[in-house]
Amino acid sequence: MASEDEINLLVIVVDVNPIWWGQQAQREPELTLSKCLDAVMVLGNSHMAMTRTNKLAVIASHCQDSHFLYPNKNWRGGDNGGEDASSSGDGKYELLSVANNLIAEEIRNVMTKTEVRGNSTETLLAGSLAKALCYIHRVSKEVEVGQEIKSRILVVKAAEDCARQYMNFMNVIFAAQKQNILIDACVLDSDSGLLQQACDITGGLYLKIPQKIALAQYLLWVFLPDSEQRSQLVLPPPAHVDYRAACFCHRNLIEIGYVCSVCLSIFCNFSPICTTCETAFKIQLPQMVKPKKKKLKQST
Amino acid sequence: MASLSEEVLLVVKKVRQRKQDGTLYLMAERIAWGPEGKDRFTVSHLYADIRCQKISPDGKAKIQLQLILHTGESTTFHFSNESSALKDRDAAKELLQQLLPKFKKKANKELEEKNRMLQEDPVLFQLYKDLVVSQVISADEFWANRLGDMNNSDPTPYNNKQDVGISGAFLADIRPQTDGCNGLRYNLTADIIESIFRTYPAVKQKYGENVPHNLTEKEFWTRFFQSHYFHRDRINTGTQDIFSECAKQDEKGLKSMVVQGVKNPLVDLLSLEDKTLDEGYGVSTTTPSTSNANRTVKESSNAAIIKRFNHHKVPFFFSSETSSTDGNSRDSDFFQPPVKKVRLQEAIEYEDLQRENRLKTVALNLKKSDRYAHGPVPLQSQHYTTSQDIINSVNHIRHEMVNYKPNLTQVLSSTAASSAITALSPGGVLMMTGTQQAINQMIPTEVQGELKHLYAAAGELLRHFWSCFPVNSPFLEEKVMKMKTNLERFQMTKLCPFQEKIQRQYLSTNLTGHLEEMLQTAYSKFHVWQTRRMLRKT
Repeated sequence: MASEDEINLLVIVVDVNPIWWGQQAQREPELTLSKCLDAVMVLGNSHMAMTRTNKLAVIASHCQDSHFLYPNKNWRGGDNGGEDASSSGDGKYELLSVANNLIAEEIRNVMTKTEVRGNSTETLLAGSLAKALCYIHRVSKEVEVGQEIKSRILVVKAAEDCARQYMNFMNVIFAAQKQNILIDACVLDSDSGLLQQACDITGGLYLKIPQKIALAQYLLWVFLPDSEQRSQLVLPPPAHVDYRAACFCHRNLIEIGYVCSVCLSIFCNFSPICTTCETAFKIQLPQMVKPKKKKLKQST
Repeated sequence: MASLSEEVLLVVKKVRQRKQDGTLYLMAERIAWGPEGKDRFTVSHLYADIRCQKISPDGKAKIQLQLILHTGESTTFHFSNESSALKDRDAAKELLQQLLPKFKKKANKELEEKNRMLQEDPVLFQLYKDLVVSQVISADEFWANRLGDMNNSDPTPYNNKQDVGISGAFLADIRPQTDGCNGLRYNLTADIIESIFRTYPAVKQKYGENVPHNLTEKEFWTRFFQSHYFHRDRINTGTQDIFSECAKQDEKGLKSMVVQGVKNPLVDLLSLEDKTLDEGYGVSTTTPSTSNANRTVKESSNAAIIKRFNHHKVPFFFSSETSSTDGNSRDSDFFQPPVKKVRLQEAIEYEDLQRENRLKTVALNLKKSDRYAHGPVPLQSQHYTTSQDIINSVNHIRHEMVNYKPNLTQVLSSTAASSAITALSPGGVLMMTGTQQAINQMIPTEVQGELKHLYAAAGELLRHFWSCFPVNSPFLEEKVMKMKTNLERFQMTKLCPFQEKIQRQYLSTNLTGHLEEMLQTAYSKFHVWQTRRMLRKT
């Protein structure tokens, strides 16, 4: 049970890459972007319904930009609120209906403004995460003095990883770790090494869903409880993360390699000159050993 | 019976032990007693085993000597010769006093060392218990390597004996006891005598001159304590005292040191004076002549204490300059300016407040900095989407989302939900990896602890075993064979019962697999070595 004073902020980053979703709609029509957004909305509503002080934010991560679906600037208007509340008509908690309507409206706007561009087909996830961190930071500053706020980020990922965003991604991860912000990941299609690392470093949960149509169930079961409650529940155990680095020359994953002491670039074979910073190195060849040498104790 | 080669230092007849008459023999390395009429010794103690000896007080009827051993046992000898019992006993006591210290240090030191090592290191202690107490290897083997390592690598602080300092209150500690009728009794031990000699070298000199020619030791010390030299007054009355010369010598010594001066240019001893501000805070002009007489009386009573303080402090004050003064005393004037400068500089500069000298750095010169942009991630197969695909997808999505309306009542079907729940419940598809991680929670902690001890013991034995290779000398050959039998014994006595125990507890995990593997490697190595040896011999 959270104390009265504690505010829990959940930021959901939804990957709305139109290319992937468009192709997905043709591959498996069971889960479309609409269904996905419905499931996310259900999670958002549940989160806000848990405690009055819970807050929500939803960011759409597109290949052109990142867009805040909720809350957005149009919300503050009082007359708008009145109309929407009466229009829903089913006696729903006002906050929830307002949120849902806003999200729906925004996503419609975002998707209709999608332009066709050949060069950028990848989701700008690192940027969305950075925006989420900034939002969390702003909210924690706006809160009253003495009030605690706990935040976490949930990433619903659809498309594949983008290797070019590696640096920014890692920076975001470490910034989140410093701020004690959990990053959870719900992956729909292909495993994402970057998100696995993010979850491992910040202490969040990484889950790749076996059945896409049950997305809502997975979201509610695994990602609705916050970090304190998770310790009391039996949730999927953390997966083993492959932290092996790839060598700079071949981009193969290696376990043991050579590292240049000047520029820290990793190589799988020794070369006398580092190709990145052009430092020369000498290496001692192993000495000739006598044929009868002591057999070292084997260690496994 | 004593071996013929043993040298007998003293024989005392008519010594009783346990109410039996007999003879006491003091030999080169041991003390022994045999009953009268028999040739064998019933009691024999090595000097190394004796912790200390005690004698009965002078007044008692029975003249006895007691030996206390390290183990705590004690043996009492009663000297029953009517005429010479006391002399015999004293002779025995003196001889023992000389001999015991020689043997004492050797035995103690080793034992103490071993005990200390065992107490300090609980891992070593456990190893000792596992290996020696359960007789897998003998204690000598155990200590053979350890003590060798200690002596070679780390010269223990016990070897470097520091000089024991003199306690500041030692003179006060010699509390005299009243002897009944107006006399005082001082108890002097060797330590106290040494302290007195170190504090007052003049007394040592006098001791060397007078004892034992002119005075006995007892007389010397009596006179010492009687002399005013010892007491606080230090009023040099009468020259009958041999110690008055000491006082004069001390004064001369002090004066010469003051004249010699301190080499610290910032300190000027000669200008120090006892200046007191008289009444009027130094402003008044009262004639000092009237108070002269008073002053001398006061001065003389303070002078004694001041002299004592100076005598104590002077060695400290001047000893700090010994390193620099010895060579430079002649050229002190010539060298004075630099020394003074150094001193002044020392006083005004602080090293850590000065600006740091930044090291010159080299700029990083990267030729291919784009390598860092993607970081050390492996190359992943790119999905290449044709432009046609892109256009199609975008159009499709746009079409779909134009009329998006959230339909929150139809988000999830019950079958989908239940299958998801099954996957997420314990035992489901997603929960499988969890059980494998709990191995250290499944095994009880005592079993874990025992396993750790087994590993430590096995590691020790294997270390001895593997250090024998390559086998160059017959000593190593023997050791290898011994270690192999030790390993086998270890396996039988320790490892197998442990395995049975965990099997009985239905712990299915294989905890001892690795240990067995290590032992098997050792056995196979031994086997190979043995066959090679056989081939060489034939």
